[in-house]
Amino acid sequence: MAGYILKRLISALPVLFGISIIVFVIMAMIPGDPATAILGSYATPENVEKLKRDLGLDKPMMQRYFIWLGNMLQGDFGRSFSLNRSVLDEVLDRFGATLILAGTSFVLCSILGIAAGVVSAARQYGLADRAITFAVLLGISIPSFFLGMMMILIFAVKLRWFPVSGMWPIYGARDLYALISHLTLPALSLAVVATGVIARLSRSAMLEVLRQDFIRTARAKGVHERSVIWRHALRAAMVSIIPVLGVQAGFVLSGAVYIEMVFQWPGVGRMLVDAILKRDILLVQGGVVFVAACYVIFNITVDVAQSLLDPRIKT
Amino acid sequence: MKLLKLSRRAMLAAGAAMALALSPLGVQAQTPEDVLIVGQIAEPKALDPAAVTAVNDFRILMNVYDGLVRYKDGTLEVEPSLATSWDISEDGTVYTFTLRDGVSFHDGSAFNAEAVKFNFDRMLDENHPYHNTGPFPLSFFFSAIENVEVVDAMTVRFTLNAPYAPFLSNLAYPTGLIVSPTAVQQHGAEFGRNPSGTGAFKFAEWRSNEAVVIEANAKYWDGAPELQAVVFRPITDANTRTAEMLAGGIDLMVEVPPVALSEFQGDTYTIHEQAGPHVWFLILNAKEGPFADKRVRQAANYAINKEAIVNDVLEGTAAVAAGPTPPAFAWAYNESLEPYPYDPDKARALLAEAGVEGAELTFYVTEGGSGMLDPVAMGTAIQADLQAVGLTVNIETYEWNTFLGEVNPGLEGKADMAEMAWMTNDPDTLPFLALRTAAWPDQGGFNSGYYSNPKVDELLEAARAATDQAERARLYKEMQVIVQEDAPWVFVANWKQNAVTSDRVNNFSLQPSFFLLLGDVVKN
Repeated sequence: MAGYILKRLISALPVLFGISIIVFVIMAMIPGDPATAILGSYATPENVEKLKRDLGLDKPMMQRYFIWLGNMLQGDFGRSFSLNRSVLDEVLDRFGATLILAGTSFVLCSILGIAAGVVSAARQYGLADRAITFAVLLGISIPSFFLGMMMILIFAVKLRWFPVSGMWPIYGARDLYALISHLTLPALSLAVVATGVIARLSRSAMLEVLRQDFIRTARAKGVHERSVIWRHALRAAMVSIIPVLGVQAGFVLSGAVYIEMVFQWPGVGRMLVDAILKRDILLVQGGVVFVAACYVIFNITVDVAQSLLDPRIKT
Repeated sequence: MKLLKLSRRAMLAAGAAMALALSPLGVQAQTPEDVLIVGQIAEPKALDPAAVTAVNDFRILMNVYDGLVRYKDGTLEVEPSLATSWDISEDGTVYTFTLRDGVSFHDGSAFNAEAVKFNFDRMLDENHPYHNTGPFPLSFFFSAIENVEVVDAMTVRFTLNAPYAPFLSNLAYPTGLIVSPTAVQQHGAEFGRNPSGTGAFKFAEWRSNEAVVIEANAKYWDGAPELQAVVFRPITDANTRTAEMLAGGIDLMVEVPPVALSEFQGDTYTIHEQAGPHVWFLILNAKEGPFADKRVRQAANYAINKEAIVNDVLEGTAAVAAGPTPPAFAWAYNESLEPYPYDPDKARALLAEAGVEGAELTFYVTEGGSGMLDPVAMGTAIQADLQAVGLTVNIETYEWNTFLGEVNPGLEGKADMAEMAWMTNDPDTLPFLALRTAAWPDQGGFNSGYYSNPKVDELLEAARAATDQAERARLYKEMQVIVQEDAPWVFVANWKQNAVTSDRVNNFSLQPSFFLLLGDVVKN
């Protein structure tokens, strides 16, 4: 197993290297440069030239790439133009916030989605199944940012149960209670679509398993129906559910961009959007490479988990 | 069975946790007394006035720092601030300032002529030991400065390389705010996060992406502020900012989207409006194509229904512009100027006279950008108006930075017209950079439509060299009449900056400079 993990980690290196080239080239190719963005109305060729020199952007592209790569390998991601702050500090701060949001959302959608899928499959075509299927269809169809805005209007503006935006109160204690009150609306908005997808796929995975012989055997043995479903069938179905969870984790993480914008959550998605608009090259590059590395590690973890569950998959 | 029980219990617990999370956590607390919470549009870059360029950052800086001069309340005319008086040499190149006695920076160090010299040398002298605390993108505001001399502890002398009339208003601009040399020496490149000035408020705390907190400076030379503290919260999404205002999470909101203004009618909120030194216009390509003919440029000015744009598209958040100079520059604005009336028949007649009926035009539109208001909707309205008088208009839309990259190098060979907006601090800036012959793009200016009129060039050069405000005003007023007649642009709108305050906030008013001054504000 250790060899397998190591092999996967090594094969991830070219991927990250490729990503660093792609993001660098894209940032170098898109029209508009940081100097123009900073100067705005005052971007005369002369001023732009001078500022580019001050920012170190006057060097040839290749040279800039290798300087950046070399620094990054030593743990120096550079300094953000637009925030005047170390890129790594900013990315780590922001990534922490995204993990809290996406992690909570992921746990919510996994539990709710699997539970709904299992109940649905156990009561196929029953009232509960129909109700869940309808709710799931509704959930999948609502864009998360729209749902987020509606949640703000109802629960924050009208009822005033929750704060509108941000992660921490401006005044008062920064405790778990404060975090939960800020987290509830964005985490729910973010979880809804993924819950629907997981519920649908869990349902079909369970239905497939429930038709198999060992389930019939278990029932014939006299195992209680609840135990058949939650213990025997679900465990077998998890093999096909876990990859879905992996995909949905990626989906939740990328969906966090919209939610972070709507709820002004100080996460990495919002950071990247702002950085792109301001042409903050180093922040975009550093942020993308960091997020990509996390994705790669996450995917490896999912694969490893799956091969632990089902030894046949191991290659 | 055991597993089942456990999982049911776990489910119950999870359900209970969810219910708890969803149940009212108590109505959200009101914001504290004497602490003003401001909804800003973005996270500031730095609190170093020499290093930043965004109005968003200026809103904080103007409360933490003072300049040698400042704008008189409600106007764009300069008055003494850290300098109590000044003297301008006959030829307009030597400015001698007498400084205010007994002022100290928030870090305790004294304000004096040495401090002033330090500030400008840091920005302008590449060999200054603290020049590396930049870059200083707007340092060209002071590129006319040849040197800064300390005459005595409380007198400082600026020598310019040529007469430059906007010098005083540039000193009132945030780039001219005076920072504490001691703090710069102490914090170096981190000064932007550890600012120290002489202003009404002193810096307290910066929580990244959450809030910048400033506290009252009890020893402020111009009277301590009423508020104990101000908190600036970055809320980039306009809808979310509106929701925060409605939910009571902020007390003051700037840049209210036009469509959201109706939410704030009634006694609970006050809507503030103030026309600023902003003009929104269309650059017309006077070098080639139909707009090379003055009659066609005038026809465009007649054909576009500016009233409809400001009232319907912008929901009254702007006024119709008459010429190149915004009325907010009251002293330099020509009151006798009337906007081109909406007159499609006259436009058609002019087009027929010029023989360009049915001409096809390329129109550059941006998706958004600093001061651009609602550029896509406005561009579409303009397209429809020009279509109505028989011109075919093809819109090409660009993201803001890309747009600037297309428009600033000039429209030649690419487009006939482009949207543009400017916000400036002196009536000199925009026409000098965008209407002179010597400001064509190939010479490093912003005259992207290649307008050229020797008389206008002459007037603008003379106004820049004049030191007497009345004389400058006369020259600008004459320039406005000629430019309006020549119509190098379609003059569309002057933006009114807006803000909303809750009923707990008193004594607040917006400034024509678009700066946010909170020294007199009271919150109950």
